[in-house]
Amino acid sequence: MATLVFLESHGSELQKGSLGVLAKAASLGDAAAVIAGEGARGLAAEAGTYGAAKVWVCEDAEVAQPLPQPRVDVLAQVVEEGGYDTVLFANSVLAADVAAGLAARLDAGLNWDLVDLELKDGDVIGKRPALQDSVFVDVGWTSTPRLALFRAGSFDATPAGGGNPETADVSPAYKEYSTGVQLVSQDAAESGGGPAIEDADVIVAGGRGLGSPDNFTLAEELAKALGGAVGATRAVVDAGWYPYSAQIGQTGKTVSPKLYVALGISGAIQHKVGMQSSGTIVAINKDANAPIFEFSDLGVVGDVHEIVPKLTELVRARKG
Amino acid sequence: MARPSNFPPPFSTRDYVTEPTDPADERIEVGVLVVGAGPAGLACAIRLGQLIEENPEMAERFGEVPVAVLEKGKQPGSHLLSGAVVNPRALRRLFGDRFRMQDLPSYGPVHGESVYLLTRRSALPIPPPPPMRNHGNWVFSLSELGRFLGEQAEEGGAMILPETTAQKLLVSHGRVVGVRTGDKGRNREGGELGNFEAGSDLVAKVTVLAEGTQGHLTGVALDRFDLRGAEPQVWELAVKEVWKVAKPLDRVIHTMGWPLRTGKKYREFGGSFIYPMGEEMVTIGLVVGLDYRDASLSVHDLLQELKTHPKIRKILEGGERVAWGAKTIPSGGFNSLPRELHAPGLLLCGDGVGMVNVPRLKGIHYAIESGRLAAEAAFRALQRGETPASALSSYDEAVRDSFIWSDLHEVRNMRQVFQRGFYVGGALASAMTMSKGKAELGKMKAEPDADQSLIVTDRDKSYPTPDGKLTFDKLSSVFASGNKTRDDQPNHIRIERRVPREVAELWTHMCPAQVYEVGREDEDGTVIVDLAPSNCVQCGAITAKGGRLTPPEGGSGPEYTVT
Repeated sequence: MATLVFLESHGSELQKGSLGVLAKAASLGDAAAVIAGEGARGLAAEAGTYGAAKVWVCEDAEVAQPLPQPRVDVLAQVVEEGGYDTVLFANSVLAADVAAGLAARLDAGLNWDLVDLELKDGDVIGKRPALQDSVFVDVGWTSTPRLALFRAGSFDATPAGGGNPETADVSPAYKEYSTGVQLVSQDAAESGGGPAIEDADVIVAGGRGLGSPDNFTLAEELAKALGGAVGATRAVVDAGWYPYSAQIGQTGKTVSPKLYVALGISGAIQHKVGMQSSGTIVAINKDANAPIFEFSDLGVVGDVHEIVPKLTELVRARKG
Repeated sequence: MARPSNFPPPFSTRDYVTEPTDPADERIEVGVLVVGAGPAGLACAIRLGQLIEENPEMAERFGEVPVAVLEKGKQPGSHLLSGAVVNPRALRRLFGDRFRMQDLPSYGPVHGESVYLLTRRSALPIPPPPPMRNHGNWVFSLSELGRFLGEQAEEGGAMILPETTAQKLLVSHGRVVGVRTGDKGRNREGGELGNFEAGSDLVAKVTVLAEGTQGHLTGVALDRFDLRGAEPQVWELAVKEVWKVAKPLDRVIHTMGWPLRTGKKYREFGGSFIYPMGEEMVTIGLVVGLDYRDASLSVHDLLQELKTHPKIRKILEGGERVAWGAKTIPSGGFNSLPRELHAPGLLLCGDGVGMVNVPRLKGIHYAIESGRLAAEAAFRALQRGETPASALSSYDEAVRDSFIWSDLHEVRNMRQVFQRGFYVGGALASAMTMSKGKAELGKMKAEPDADQSLIVTDRDKSYPTPDGKLTFDKLSSVFASGNKTRDDQPNHIRIERRVPREVAELWTHMCPAQVYEVGREDEDGTVIVDLAPSNCVQCGAITAKGGRLTPPEGGSGPEYTVT
């Protein structure tokens, strides 16, 4: 398997999700990475620490903006030049577009929404959740190159040491239609700093049990103390307590942080399917019969208004 | 005492009637436009395909797209839910020798049946009353049948447009000329999102509304053309589940009595059905007339309670719920049928106009037959190149000559007699059936469901606490319906938001999908009703009980597959 991983960068920062996919690829064999955008060369060494033996970099003006089509040109060129038979992506708005574009360009098969990848008797097998995440199905490819897009948070981004990868420049001939789009303006999403919920290792999510929109500060402060992001249930987003961008669940975002703290969340199945693959689930709810206690690792029956401030204080004290 | 109809929704049918607005060269032109890919609409499309095939010289007159079918669900069948024990008569007529009943996706003919009168702990078998005898009928999943009919319609040349709602009726010079489809990609406030797609004018020579129960444009058309019948329409609400079971059920079962109350003041009319779907599945549902009065009544929770009956628990034991859904059934019968079933350029079919035989618990074969007759009327009109107002009146004549008319006439007072309470009503219903409808039992006036004055009891205190195995809460049931509607779309449910507490409680308990919630109380004792419209499975109960459902964004709502 000759694997190439698309590393997404914004500013001069590599996205953690894509580094996780790289680490996974490196654990299965030789893996190369491609970085396209301003400052790409400077990021190559970091990619090396996550297991990239070779890093293709492109700093062309065409890829300065976070637009998909020029990146499809870059990837198509790298796949051809490097002879890669497998190309992996970590899901994001940009990566999903690039993956779809590359699949069309190369007439390649793209498996979508995978959560794991393994080698079995020389075959590459992807794991895809189906039927509302109740079962996992094995999926494969009938041709190469194999393309795969992984769900956010599928793999830990753990540096494997190493570094000093071989680097190679790539500068494809851009298609006319690839450069026909310009980014006109870019607005920051409505969120109060901290990591994005798709990327966060820790999510503190609030539900109706918080009682009022003002009480979301409880969630925000605990999230800040833990270095995490704030999530919300549909009910509170519906009620206008918190922005839609923070909604977790069936009709919101699907997340899998290492730690998920649910404050005043009853745990309706619509919420569960958006967070059930989290590492450790901690629930605080005053209703002992709340369904969330059926799938949390640690459940506290109690009043969030009393417990959370103390918890936040303790976390702060512990962290100094 | 509060009546829901005293708090009408902010809704006017006038807002849903318009002249075509797209420039002439941007309108989509079709021959016959069918709204709704259910048994009526698809039967209509299938029959039109057959007629065009038999008369190829007519193809030109239908145009480039001879037949188009609009469907608001993800695909034909997504919004179809019924019992369903189907009288095969209309299917046989529609398909002739093209298909035998065995070739259709069914669970086979009915082999045996039982009717029980339930009390909390016992089940008294009673001989099936004549109208409830099902010998010769076939068990179907209507959702599955809808998918099959959709394929047949497409094979016959119809273009099916799923995830598309019919939002407005296009009327020009007093004649229906098509529909305007709904916008997609608006946010909650109505603003345009990045993927916004405006609706378009679909212009047709004949428009067939086959929208099913509580059809949005059917309601608009009945008002616009003043077609409403002698009596107002009334509805029942059905909630049903499909179970995978450990042991097969060998017969169809109907129950009456518990968990409904028999006292006259409650006006609780209804019963349950339990049908085998092959060896491995069973469907169970509860139907309750929406003229009930108790604001604490919840059909969903009564169905949960029903399943705890020892007799029924035994059927489901060791099984697993695989689907859930809800839908209203028009039950006014003959006297509530519209005055006429056509208007210039327009034909009305099936459940939308109330072609349901309540005592027999049947309507699908009427829907199919009316769709077939609508196709023939539309075809005849186009064949003669007629466009005058009367061109489609042959449809009314055909319906009056069909079994739809004679069947419904025979049982015309059946539903209303139950206003007199369960036992008296039951006796009158039997008398009526024995005499083939000849017994005149006095004029019985139907009142709109929303006109019933409300009472509040503590009925809701005795609903079982959901255990997630046999009994379920509403939200996990919405999940089981496959509903994953985008939350940030405009609200499609029109209600008066500020109402007396008992009206808010009525809606909250009534809705099987947990759309309504009693919100903050004002100083004058009224409350604000909070809404979660994306839970909505479009059953239509709110339209019966004082609100008005309009179509949400196309593709929203449940994704039924086996209901």
